[in-house]
Amino acid sequence: MKKFSLNKLNINRVIGRKKLSLREREAMYGRLFILPWLIGLVVFFIVPFIDSVYYTFQKLSFGDNGLEFTYIGLENYIYAFTKDPDYIKNLTSSITNMLYEVPIVMVFSIFVAYLLKDEFKGRTYARTIFFFPVIIASGVVITVLKENVLGSGSNMVGSATTIFRAENLRAVMINAGIPRWFSMYVVDVVNKIFDLTWRSGVQILLILAALHNIPKSFYEVAIIEGATEWEKFWKITFPMISPTVYVAIIYSIIDYFTDYGNQVMRMVVTQANNGRFEYSSTLAIVYFVVVMIIILIVNRIIGKRVVYLS
Amino acid sequence: MSIIRKNILRILKKLFLYTFIVCMSYILLYPVLFLISNAFRAKEDLFDPSVIWIPKHITLANFKYANLLLSYPTAIKNTLIMLIPSVIIQTFICMMVGYGFARFRFPEREILFGILLFTIIVPIQTIIVPLYVKFRYFDFLYLGRLIGLITGKPLTVNLLDTPWPFYILNLFGMGIRSSLYIFVFRQFFRNMPTELEEAAKIDGCGPFSTFIRIMVPNATGAIITVMLFTIVWHWNDYYVSTMFNNENLPVSVMLTILNTRMSMLQAAQGFSSDDIYLLGSTVLEAGCLMVILPLIIMYIIGQRYFTESIERTGIVG
Repeated sequence: MKKFSLNKLNINRVIGRKKLSLREREAMYGRLFILPWLIGLVVFFIVPFIDSVYYTFQKLSFGDNGLEFTYIGLENYIYAFTKDPDYIKNLTSSITNMLYEVPIVMVFSIFVAYLLKDEFKGRTYARTIFFFPVIIASGVVITVLKENVLGSGSNMVGSATTIFRAENLRAVMINAGIPRWFSMYVVDVVNKIFDLTWRSGVQILLILAALHNIPKSFYEVAIIEGATEWEKFWKITFPMISPTVYVAIIYSIIDYFTDYGNQVMRMVVTQANNGRFEYSSTLAIVYFVVVMIIILIVNRIIGKRVVYLS
Repeated sequence: MSIIRKNILRILKKLFLYTFIVCMSYILLYPVLFLISNAFRAKEDLFDPSVIWIPKHITLANFKYANLLLSYPTAIKNTLIMLIPSVIIQTFICMMVGYGFARFRFPEREILFGILLFTIIVPIQTIIVPLYVKFRYFDFLYLGRLIGLITGKPLTVNLLDTPWPFYILNLFGMGIRSSLYIFVFRQFFRNMPTELEEAAKIDGCGPFSTFIRIMVPNATGAIITVMLFTIVWHWNDYYVSTMFNNENLPVSVMLTILNTRMSMLQAAQGFSSDDIYLLGSTVLEAGCLMVILPLIIMYIIGQRYFTESIERTGIVG
């Protein structure tokens, strides 16, 4: 008996002194690295988020003792889905617009990044220009610009809006026998060129960085093997940048859905500004459940096709 | 392929490239040129149909008024106080967390990463009111409440109207678009050869010194890219700043209220309300220019390092 317990003690002491297994140690260090984020997640995200969800089942009013809550069950949700004239309409149009705008933004970004990668005269200038939107497009300034330059209100409007419109193009295309839906699509895209180019700055930047990350030796090998430009792009470049393209796609989707110009986002902000915070939360939460589902689907489709070097 | 055909192809490629760049320059520079053209315009030119791009009466008055309405020097100072520490903290923390997600295996990693993605898409609007309350009665991550259990009165501090909400959010990886930067760094580190770490391990480096001494210096490209984004987004942010500040407003918030402050001109310059109405758009445009000017200057100075860094993001090749 004595021997046994001693032995047990010994083992415990050995475990206590001995370091954790390699895998456990790795896990511990990993957790240490993400610890600040984990704390932040709980304190500044999950708890406030639960509070927000709690608000959606309440009616908020300003009483004598500050905010007053009355429990009203699912009424906010029912109102959003059945009574609100704009919500479902804006939600569906947001989703359909995203489905075709994001691919365009992505193709455009990859195309521009590919152009800007190689050495040519004026490359520095071109890069400066293409990253311009990154600087301006996220702030108040773009709102002012859109209203003053592309919207109504000043004497420049006439000339400004026709520059970026393609009404004539539609007529030409329909006359040329191109299917109506396709010409509508093209015209729509052309009309949005301003928006789309202004929205692809970040993506161009990310992809350009990824392009420069590809070891040159890969191309040297490919050239020796006699690969064409086309093959080089699809067999080397594209797989190598795929992790970044994946980031950029997720970013584009999120950027599209959280843009202040987005109709649903505008509803959310307007409702909050009008003091109907509970309804604003309801709209936002439904919206982001929908967006989350879309991202999970995209993640399913693309995530597995991403190639990692290591 | 014959040499002639090759040359023709090359010339066509160049031609296409330059046409494309010229067209794009037009689209991308148009709004800025428009701002510049309007900001220098005197009010006589507003109704002159012969003035299209170059104003006949060039004036700096719009800038003078915008300077007054924006309280420009103070607003810039407020912006910088908020911005500089935020950018440094945010970049470092996001890099650390991104590295943790990229290079360590632990059972709950995938689910946490899923949650990270979720935090990118939930906009700050959804949680801003609870956050506002949190910083109005800041309890040091519940420590204040714990003290309250003993003393009977929870220890809370009002952090509104200080830059602390920004610093704290950034320190815990919850700053403006932090999740996105974590995502970027994670992708970046995942793509780095593991041999580097193995070598460092053999040389006796622990995970943290490997991170600081091997990974951080090799991530210069990603760091500069993320830093540029953090600077720009902190500079341009107005939603969060409006929520957390009533005074000490940063420059982007000042721009949003510029219109409502127009009446200040009435008192200071003795304008009639008609004048004010006329000046409205040109002063706003001058204000816009003044707000983005520091960013543009920063970008023009830094862009060489920035584009070079893009080329050096890789450690191989």
